[in-house]
Amino acid sequence: MKKGTLFAIAALIAAAMAGPATAATAKRVKLTGEIIDSWCYITEIMYAEGSAHHQCALWCAAGGVPVGILGEDGQVYMVLKLGQDDTSVANPAILRIQSHRVTVDGSVYERDGIKYIVVNKVVDDSGIVNLTHDEYGIQPFGK
Amino acid sequence: MKYALQIAFMAISVLAWSNMARAAEEWGLPEEKITRFEAKVVDVLCELSGDCPKACGGGNRQLGLLDGKGKLILPLKNNVIFAGTTDELIGFCGKQVIADGLLTTNRGYTVFALQFVKEVPNGKWQRANRFLPKWAKQNGVAENSPKAERWFENDPRVKALVEKDGKLGLGLKVDEEFLAKQ
Repeated sequence: MKKGTLFAIAALIAAAMAGPATAATAKRVKLTGEIIDSWCYITEIMYAEGSAHHQCALWCAAGGVPVGILGEDGQVYMVLKLGQDDTSVANPAILRIQSHRVTVDGSVYERDGIKYIVVNKVVDDSGIVNLTHDEYGIQPFGK
Repeated sequence: MKYALQIAFMAISVLAWSNMARAAEEWGLPEEKITRFEAKVVDVLCELSGDCPKACGGGNRQLGLLDGKGKLILPLKNNVIFAGTTDELIGFCGKQVIADGLLTTNRGYTVFALQFVKEVPNGKWQRANRFLPKWAKQNGVAENSPKAERWFENDPRVKALVEKDGKLGLGLKVDEEFLAKQ
């Protein structure tokens, strides 16, 4: 076997070993939904949608709690990346669109009952359109 | 002699306490289960996609707990109000840990609240509240100050957004009118 072929095989093996053995397959999607705080929404420790929960959603995002997109299909998609940003922990760009209704282009992964999304681009941002404060007040402290 | 024995007893007590198995506290979450398990700390995006920066992204990525059966458990909360787990786990990137906390299942999702963590096999239990001293240091206040205790109300990133868009995110005028009715 030629040296070049051996190097190519070694490089392929090294590349395969660099990533996790269980890497999942991504599905390209266009997803519309509301940017939410995943913890408050999933646990229902308080009402966690729209304007009523906006301030708390900012707090949780700044605290590094994963931000999700509550899709029109009722599913939560955990945001692992936004565009070329190198952070998904308290990402200022995500804070700026917290509670907004957005349409994104991205790649969805599913693992052990949780959906994750890598957002390539926010293609539409309608702002906060889910006006819930008249019914639920300001969550969680009322002010 | 008596004094030496007392000191020895105190030293043993301190050692025993520091290595004692910490027990998670109940929070009253839906289908809450106090849970302790061994897992590897992983960068979730790396685990899913093979996009793997050095050191789990150095604290800039959401981290997961990969248990012995290959199940990826997503920790959403630490032990600090309104805060997540990256600061609690980043020091253990790629390492085996014992995670102690609460599994909660609701709306069809099972997620984890991390309360204590220690490295396998002989690490010391650490309460999952490292977020707060880090935040306090970054913001130039004492860890035990009232400002740090209410970090979320004093966070400059959040304050700037609330001052611009209001607590409801709909503008200051909407806030003013709404709060006047309360």
